[in-house]
Amino acid sequence: MAPVGDADHCRDKARRELLALLEGTRGKKNLVLSQELAGPVGLFVKFSVLQEYGVDRVFLLENANIDSSQRNVVFLVRGEKARQVRTVAEQIKRLQNNGNVEHEFSIIFAPRRTLVSNTVLEEAGIIGDVNIFEFPLLFLPLEQDILSLELDDAFEDLYLHKDPGCIFHAAKALMGIQQRHGYFPRIVGKGDHARRLADLLLRMRKELDAEESSGLADPSTRGLLPSADIENLIIIDREVDFGTPLLTQLTYEGLIDEYVGIKNNQADVDTSVVGQAPMPHAQESSKSPQQAKPGMKRKIQLDASDQLFNQLRDANFAIVGDILNKVARRLENEYETRHSAKTTNELRDFVNKLPSYQLEHQSLRVHTNLAEEIMRLTRSETFRKILEVQQSNAAGADTTYQHETIEELIARDVPIKSVLRLLCLESCMAGGLRPRDLENFKRQVVQAYGHQHLLTFWALEKMELLQPRSSATTMLLPTSGTQAGTKTNYGYLRKNLRLVIEEVSEKDPNDISYVYSGFAPLSVRLVQCVIQKPYILSLIKGNSPTATSNNASAASPGWLGFEDVVKSARGSTFNIVQKGDDKAVRARQTLSGNAGTKTVYVFFLGGITFTEIAALRFIAAQEAPRRKLIICTTGIISGDRMMNAALAHGSFASPE
Amino acid sequence: MAPSNPLANWEKVGDSFYRKITVYDAVFDDEVELENYIVAGAPYGGTIALYRDETKPVRLRDSQSRSNIDIYSYSGKLINRIHWEQATIRGLGWSDKEELLVVAEDGTVRRYFGLDGEFTSFSLGNGAEEYGVRACQFWASGLVALLSNNQLIAVSKYDEPRPKLLAPCPEGEVSSWALISPTHTLSRSVEVLLAVDKTVFLIDSTDAEDKILQDGPFKHVGVSPTGRFIALYTSEGKLWVVSNDFQNKLCEYDSKARVPPSSVNWCGDEAVVLAWEDEIHLVGPSGAASKYYYDGRVHVIPEFDGVHLLTNDSCEFLHKVDGTTEEIFRLGASSPSSVLLDSVEQMEKKSPKADENIQRIRSSLPAAVDTCIKAAGHEFDSYWQKRLLKAASFGKSVLELYNSDEFVEMTEKLRVISAVRDYKIGIPISYAQYLRLTPEGLVERLTNRHEYLLAIRVSEYLQIPADKIYVHWASQKVRVSTVDDEAVCKLIVQRLEGKPGISFEMIAQTAYDEGRSHLATRLLNHEPRAGKQVPLLLNMEEDELALDKAIESGDDDLVNFVLLHLKSKIPLASFFRMINTRPMASALVEATARDEDMELLKDLYYQDDRPLDGSNALLVEALAADQVQQKIEKLQLASRLLSDSKDPTVVLQQKLISEASHLLKAQEALDKDLADRTEFLGLSLNETIYRLIRAGYGKRAQKMQGEFRMPEKTYWWLRLRALVAKRDWGELEELNKNKKSPIGWEPFYNEVLGAGNTKLASLFVPKCTNLSVAERIEMWVKCGMIVKAGEEAHKAKDLNTLELLRNKASGPAATEIERMINQLRPRK
Repeated sequence: MAPVGDADHCRDKARRELLALLEGTRGKKNLVLSQELAGPVGLFVKFSVLQEYGVDRVFLLENANIDSSQRNVVFLVRGEKARQVRTVAEQIKRLQNNGNVEHEFSIIFAPRRTLVSNTVLEEAGIIGDVNIFEFPLLFLPLEQDILSLELDDAFEDLYLHKDPGCIFHAAKALMGIQQRHGYFPRIVGKGDHARRLADLLLRMRKELDAEESSGLADPSTRGLLPSADIENLIIIDREVDFGTPLLTQLTYEGLIDEYVGIKNNQADVDTSVVGQAPMPHAQESSKSPQQAKPGMKRKIQLDASDQLFNQLRDANFAIVGDILNKVARRLENEYETRHSAKTTNELRDFVNKLPSYQLEHQSLRVHTNLAEEIMRLTRSETFRKILEVQQSNAAGADTTYQHETIEELIARDVPIKSVLRLLCLESCMAGGLRPRDLENFKRQVVQAYGHQHLLTFWALEKMELLQPRSSATTMLLPTSGTQAGTKTNYGYLRKNLRLVIEEVSEKDPNDISYVYSGFAPLSVRLVQCVIQKPYILSLIKGNSPTATSNNASAASPGWLGFEDVVKSARGSTFNIVQKGDDKAVRARQTLSGNAGTKTVYVFFLGGITFTEIAALRFIAAQEAPRRKLIICTTGIISGDRMMNAALAHGSFASPE
Repeated sequence: MAPSNPLANWEKVGDSFYRKITVYDAVFDDEVELENYIVAGAPYGGTIALYRDETKPVRLRDSQSRSNIDIYSYSGKLINRIHWEQATIRGLGWSDKEELLVVAEDGTVRRYFGLDGEFTSFSLGNGAEEYGVRACQFWASGLVALLSNNQLIAVSKYDEPRPKLLAPCPEGEVSSWALISPTHTLSRSVEVLLAVDKTVFLIDSTDAEDKILQDGPFKHVGVSPTGRFIALYTSEGKLWVVSNDFQNKLCEYDSKARVPPSSVNWCGDEAVVLAWEDEIHLVGPSGAASKYYYDGRVHVIPEFDGVHLLTNDSCEFLHKVDGTTEEIFRLGASSPSSVLLDSVEQMEKKSPKADENIQRIRSSLPAAVDTCIKAAGHEFDSYWQKRLLKAASFGKSVLELYNSDEFVEMTEKLRVISAVRDYKIGIPISYAQYLRLTPEGLVERLTNRHEYLLAIRVSEYLQIPADKIYVHWASQKVRVSTVDDEAVCKLIVQRLEGKPGISFEMIAQTAYDEGRSHLATRLLNHEPRAGKQVPLLLNMEEDELALDKAIESGDDDLVNFVLLHLKSKIPLASFFRMINTRPMASALVEATARDEDMELLKDLYYQDDRPLDGSNALLVEALAADQVQQKIEKLQLASRLLSDSKDPTVVLQQKLISEASHLLKAQEALDKDLADRTEFLGLSLNETIYRLIRAGYGKRAQKMQGEFRMPEKTYWWLRLRALVAKRDWGELEELNKNKKSPIGWEPFYNEVLGAGNTKLASLFVPKCTNLSVAERIEMWVKCGMIVKAGEEAHKAKDLNTLELLRNKASGPAATEIERMINQLRPRK
C-alpha cells in the first residue's frame, strides 16, 4: 500500500513545486494570480508561507492593479486560457511603459506552458522579456478522499462549447495517479466523454511506453504494470445524469453550497449570520474596521479539519439540528467537568483540553447559526413549492400539473436559476418538454427576466438540458429500456435501479437515496452497479435492502449483469482491461501478496455535487475494510453552477 | 609491462602532493603550431577547440586555415572543422553540455551543438554591436561578455537566451576580469570581478561594489572552482590568494618573473597554476610552489579538479593527489590500506606475511577496503587500478560482513572510464569528473562523436536509455546516405524496430531539414505519439494531416495551435471547409472566436448556414452595444436573419427578438415621458410593469400588459407585489372588491401579511374559499384574530380546535371563545 495518500501526495507536490518556482526569482516579489487559481492555490499553501518565500503582495490578475512596488513580478495563470495570457501580456507592457522601474517578469503557467500562450506572448512582443516556467498543477486535494481539478469552466467548456480541453487535463491528472501506483487494471465507464477520457488514457499509456526508454534492459523492469492495490477506475460522464444535480441538494454541505456557495472548501458567509471572524490577525493586511458591517463576508473553512462539520456535512439536513443539539450538550457536560476536577492532574488535563473545547465551541456557534439561516430559507413558501415540483419530477409523476406552480414562481420573480433548474429537470427526466409548453415558458421567462435569456435558452438547448420533446424521444417509457440512448431514460432506470425509495430513513440511512430524501442519484447507482452488485440485485428483487449482504463481487467485474440496464443511460458504455506483462504481474503478486484493501477511483467528468459525494462516502463506509474509494472530479458542481454556464450575461440596460 | 611507479611525478607542494600524469602523447602533428592558437577545452575532458590567434604572425601558406575553428579530441583526433567567416572571434568557450560558443566582435553568438557543426545564433544586443565585444568568459550554462565600453552582458541560458546588462561599471582601464558562476553566488545569478585601475569591482545585476584595493592593476583575476577563493596577480609579479569577500589574504607568492603569466588558473580548490609560454608554476596554499618547464608552448585547460596541460606532443593532467591515494602510496606509509595492498603482494609470493598483515590490521580492515576501492577510482593506470581492487577484494573476503555494492559499482565505473580514456576515443575523464558528468552525459558525448557502438555498449552495461543513440544514428544515416528514400526508411525502421522510446519525429525532422520531405513523411508514420508529429507536419505544409494528428492526440492546445496557424495561412473559405468535418476543431474555433473575433464567428455561421446561431451572435452584439439605437438595429438584423424560416422554434425566436426591440422602444418612450433619466430602459417586461405600478402608473402598466400580451396571472402577481411594496393598502383593498382573482386570494393574504398589515390581510381570509377550515383558522390566528378563527371553528363544529384557541386567547376574546365552546358543548 502506498505510504502517503494521494491527497497528501498531491498537496505536498504542488506546494513543493510552487515554492521552488517562487524561490527561482530571487528577492522580494509581487505575485499576480488569476482569479480562478487564487482559491486552488490556497488549498495547498498559506499566504504566510508565500511571504516566507519572498512574496510581498498578492494581486488578482482580473483587477489589473499590479503596481511597480517590487522589481520582481511573478504571474501565475492558466496557460490554456489564451485570454488570461493576453491580459498578462497587456499588464506587462503597461508596467514596462510606466518606465521608472526596470521590472523582472516571470510567468508561471499552470498546468503547462502551451503553444498558444507562446504565440500570444510572441505577438505581444514580450516573449524575450519574461522568464517562463511551468507548474504542473493537476489534482488538488479537497479532502483525503476527494481529488479535484478545480476547473471552474469544465462544465461549460465540455457541454456548451464542446471544448474537450478538460478531458485532456483529466487524462494527464489520471496518468499521474497511474504513474504513482501502476495502471488501473480496469477502466469502467459510462458516457461518450468518459469514453474519450478512457481512450486518451490508453493512448497516453501507449505514448508513455514509447517514451520509456530503458535501452535494452530486461523488459520486466520496463514500463508500468497494472497496479496491485487499485481495483478499477470508474468514469462517469456528467452528461449521463444531468438530472441529479438539478435537484436541490438536501445534505448539510449540499445546502450550504446551494445557498451560500462553497468554493475551494471555503464559503463566504454574511457576517450578519455567523458573526465576525474571531481572529483579527487573519486579515492583517486589509486593516478593515472591526465592526460588523452588514453585507460583509466572512470566509468559513469547510473541511475535515473542523470535526463538527465533518460530522454534519453528509447528513441529511433534517437531522442536522439534532446533531447540533447533541454536540452542544456534550460540550457543556465536558466543560462542566472542570468543577468535578479534584486533583491537580485532572485539572491539568482539563486545561490541556481547553483549546480544543474552545475550537469546538466556535465551530458549534458557526454551524448553529448557519443551520438556522438555512432552516429559515427552507421554511419559505417558495422553497417548499420548488421542492414539491422537484420531488414529483424525481418520482416520475405527470409533471404537467406542476406547470402552474412554475408559472407562479416566475411571476413571483424567484431567482431565474431556480426556475430554469425546474424546467431543465423536467426536460431531463421526461425526455423534453412538450413544444407548446416550452414555447410558453420561454415567453414567460424572457418577459420576466429579460430578452437576453433567449441566449440562455439557446445555450441550454445546446447542452441538451432543455429541449422540446421530439418525436424520436417521445417514448421514454419505463418499459422499453434497450435502445442505446442518446438520452438517459430515467423512466426505465427509475424502475430498474430503484432510484426512488420512499421509506428511506434520514436519521439512520440504509440507502444512498437519503441524500435527496428519497431519490438515489443515478450517477452513484451506476457506481453501485459496478462495485455493489448484490445489493442492487436485492434492491431490484424487492427484498428489503440489507446493506451488508454483499460478498465480494470481484467475480463479476465491470458492468457484468447490468449491461442491459446501463444501456438505457445516455452514451457509450465501456469496460476496458489494462493488461501488463503476465510474467511480471505474477512475479509481483508473489512478492507483495494480495493486498487487503483495494482502491477504487471514481472519476466524475464534468463535476460532482456534494450530495453525490455524500452518497459515495456512504458506499465507501459500507465497503470499508475491503475497498477504499477515492473520488476524482473536474470540479464541484451544483444546479446553479450548471445554469451559470448557460446564463446570458449582461442585459439590455445601457452600461452606466 | 612493468608497472609504473605510483609515486612517479608526485610533487610536494606545501603539505599536499600534486601529480602530473601523462594521459596521451604525440597529440598533435607538427603542422599544428600550438603557440599560434587560442585553445578552449570543454569541461570533463571534452573536446578542445583551436582557433588561430590573430595577433600572431601568419605564414602565408597557412593563411587559408585562418578562418577555421578546429575541434579536436584530447588525443589529437580532428573531430570537426568549422568554417568561420564572420567578424573577429572574441570569445571561444564551451558549455557543460559540450556546446561550443563562439562570440564575435559584433555581438553575434553562435552555439554549435552536437559537434556536427549545427548551430543556433543570437545577438547580444545591448550595445554590443556599437561598442564591440572585447572578451568573453563562460561558465557551465552561460557566458558574460565584456564590451569595449566596460559594459557587461550576461546570458544565463542558451535555449532561450536573454542577454541582460549587468550593473554599469565604473570608467577605467580593465586589466583583467573573471566571473563567479551563479551556483556560487548569494544572488544566484552570475557576478563578475572586474579589475579596474588599482582596485577590483564586484558587479552583479544591480550593483557595482568597489572592493577597495590599492595594489592594482591586477593582471589576472581567477575564481576557485568552489567560488571560495580568489587569485589575484599583481603588477609586481605577486600572486595573492584572498577569500571571496576580499577580507583575508590567505597567501602570497612572488613569481619573480618580469612578465605577467599568460594565464592564471586554479588547479582544484587549493592551488593556482601560473603559466608562461613554456613554464608552469604550481602555487600551493602556503605560497609553496613547484615549477615545471616545457620545450614549447603549453596551454592550460582548467577542470574543476585539476588542469589539463596541452603541448604539441603530450596531454597531461595535473591534479592534487587524493587523500586515499596518498594514504596508500606515500613513502613509508603504514596505514591499514597500504598494509592491505602489501599483503596482496605477499600472498602472491605465497608468503605467510600476508596473513600476519591482515591480522595486524584486522580492526580497521573495513575502512582499509573502502580506501582501496576509492583509491582505485582515482588511479589512472590500469595496473594499479587492478592491484587496488584486488587488495580490496582480498580484504573483503576476510571480512564476514561487507556490503560489496561499492566495490561492484567501482569496477563498473572504472570499466567505462577506461574505455573512454582510450586514445581512440580521447576523453581523459577523471573519476571525479565522471561522477559530475553522469553516465548519461558521457553516453551523449560518445553519441555526438558518432561512437555509436561504444555508446550502446556503455548504456547496455549501465542499463541506461539508449534511444537517443539510435535516433542520433538514424539522423546521421539520413544525412549522409545517398540511396533512395525507400531504402533509407527501410533500413532505419528495420534497425529500430522493437526498440522503445525511439523518436521518429526527430529523425523525420532531420530528413525534412535535409530536404527529403518524402522520407520525412514516411518516417513520421512510425512515430507513435501523434502530438509529436504536428509541428513538423505544419512545417511540411501537410496542414490537414497536422490538424488530424492534433485532434487525434486529444490535446486541445495543439489543436488550437494548428488552427491559429491555419487561420492566418489559408483563405477563410477553405479554412471553414477544413474544420467543417471535424467537430472538435470547429468547436474550438467557435469558442475562441466568441472571445476574440465576433466577425469570424458570424462568417462561420453564415458559411455553415446556421441562421439561428448567426442571429444569436447578433443578439450578443446587441447586448454589448452602448447605444439604444445600436441595440435596436442589431436586434432587427438578428430578427431579419430568421425571417425566412418556417420552423416553429425559429418563428418563436424571431417573434421574441422583435418583441425585445419593441420593448426597448416602449421603454425609451416611458423614460422620456415619466422620468428624466433612464429608469425603465433595459428592464425586463415584468420588471417594467412592476415599477410602473409601484410608481403609481397603473394605466400605463395595463396598457403594456395588453401590448405585450402578458398572461393575466402574471399581471396580477406583479400588481400584488408592486402594491405591497408601495404599501398602497387602499388600492389593495380596492382589489379585494373584485369577485375573482386569477391567482386566488391566498397570495394576497400571504403577501400583505408578510408586509405586516394584519388588518388588511384578514380581509382576504374569507375569500379563500378553496382552502380547508383548518387552514383558514390558521390564517386568522396569524392575523391575531382569535375570535374570527373561533367563529370559523364554530361553524365547522370543531371543539378541539376551539379549546386550543382558548389557550391562545386573552381578555374579551377568551370569553368569546368560551362562549362558543359552551354553545357547542353538548348540554347535559
